[in-house]
Amino acid sequence: MRKFRLGGLIGFLAVLAVVAYASLAGITGSASLDISAQAQEAGNVPGKSMGNSSDSEFWRKVRRGTQGKVSIPDVKSAVLINSEGSAWRAARNGPVSFWGGVIVAGSLAFFFLFGLFHGRIMIKGGRSGEVIPRFSQAERWVHWFVAGSFMLLALTGLALLFGRYVLKPVFGPEVFAIVANASLQSHNLFGPIFIVGLVIMIVLYMRDNLWQKGDLDWALKGGFLNDSHPPSWKYNLGEKVWYWSIFFGGLALSGSGLMLEFPWLFEQLTQLQLAHIVHAVAALVLIAFSFGHIYLGVWGVEGALDGMTQGYVDVNWAKEHHGWWAEEVLESNTSVVEGASDAPPNTKSPAPAE
Amino acid sequence: MFVEFVEGPLWYFSAAVFVLGVLWRVVGIIRLKRRAKDLSVPRASATVGALKAQVLHFVPHGGFSFRTVYHLVAGYSFHIGLFVLLLWGAPHIAFFETHILGFSWDALPRWGFVVAAQFAFAGLMLLWVRRISDPVMIKLSDKDDHVSAWLTFTVMLTGCLALQESVEALRILHMLSVEIWLLYFPFSRLMHAVTFAFSRGHTGALFGRRGIVP
Repeated sequence: MRKFRLGGLIGFLAVLAVVAYASLAGITGSASLDISAQAQEAGNVPGKSMGNSSDSEFWRKVRRGTQGKVSIPDVKSAVLINSEGSAWRAARNGPVSFWGGVIVAGSLAFFFLFGLFHGRIMIKGGRSGEVIPRFSQAERWVHWFVAGSFMLLALTGLALLFGRYVLKPVFGPEVFAIVANASLQSHNLFGPIFIVGLVIMIVLYMRDNLWQKGDLDWALKGGFLNDSHPPSWKYNLGEKVWYWSIFFGGLALSGSGLMLEFPWLFEQLTQLQLAHIVHAVAALVLIAFSFGHIYLGVWGVEGALDGMTQGYVDVNWAKEHHGWWAEEVLESNTSVVEGASDAPPNTKSPAPAE
Repeated sequence: MFVEFVEGPLWYFSAAVFVLGVLWRVVGIIRLKRRAKDLSVPRASATVGALKAQVLHFVPHGGFSFRTVYHLVAGYSFHIGLFVLLLWGAPHIAFFETHILGFSWDALPRWGFVVAAQFAFAGLMLLWVRRISDPVMIKLSDKDDHVSAWLTFTVMLTGCLALQESVEALRILHMLSVEIWLLYFPFSRLMHAVTFAFSRGHTGALFGRRGIVP
């Protein structure tokens, strides 16, 4: 049996104590074993034993979108993680898509049901057989040019925004990818063409869409819903609201669209994300409004389309829907001067004023 | 299977119909006999008049310039844009090299290709809008005019859709639309791309013989 040796035990305990102290000092980074130093403050590693910053703080800064430095011209690449992108994506796929879909589908449903139950607004006195000029050739040409490019942009834009919810489940991801690719290319190509047409149209149509005395009366008397058709100028308040929607919405659409068309001109991605949201909102509002314009212009109001296809409208239509304007035109007798040769067959221009 | 068909037999068939059809129409025009021989003494050269007309008719007569400014701008925008993107677009040059000519030339940068396409689209849309909204043009236009315009628009649109050159299906769609366009070309007013020279020559010769600037 081995003898118990007190000296050996003390030596062993001493070595154990030294090892334990060294371990704790190493863990805490403090010779006095101050355990409170384990908590990180402002990202600094206690005791500076592993550098000035911790990994967690480093990645926190990256996640917050801190901009570093790069030696290439694209300064946007100095941001490793664009955290605002998460907010943009949440807005784009959340409220913008949801409420945008509600507005567009709601508008379509509203005008469909309105047409179904209300029917067409007919010319009360029937067609008189006499016509007066309403839109010049330039006005008609620019209108149809803008309308055509707007429809193409609207279709491709809707495919891009709602395709993942509508096209992808029905046709599958491969077809959706092809449609999205094609839509993006045509959207980018037709955008600038639309802007040129839009600017010309805004200028051409502005004068008659400024505020005029009597505009509010037309609205207060029920507008086109009133069977007695309150009088209005060349454009009633509803049409003027549509014009100014195009003015502000179209300019927002164009400005934001140009930003997205030339993204390399902007240093901050947040600018492009904001532009995208503005672009989507303006487009969705204009698309929703356009259903009303198309419904009333093409089918809802008898005789309205003639003005935009032939340049002339029936006198009875003009008197019923735009009474003050019709009086002006008939008194000024401009019909025999401008575009009289464009009058459709079997109609006659009003007799010259005596 | 469909891809091979569009790139193979259908391409050769449509190209053959295009070439033979155009030749058939041109030979037919050349072989037309004059209705009555002009026995009057010529005051100037008919040939010179025909050649003058080829050049002078590229711009409207001075007296009509205001009336034709829309047509002039839209027409040149469309035709120049179309020819530029057809002849200097990088994908088209690559196609000509591999399928037809065997050699290539410098292509426009991508932005130039896109701008040419925008001019072509804007011009074509303006011309068609005029066709449907001008009371005279409506009456002068028939089904062939509209089919020709829409076929051309479709070819350009499918090309636009395939602009990124990364989706096989879009490229095939563009090629298919081009082949339909080629098949339609010789039997439609799209032939004006060739016959305009004969028309101008005939008019120029008539006027030139009478000593009038065509």
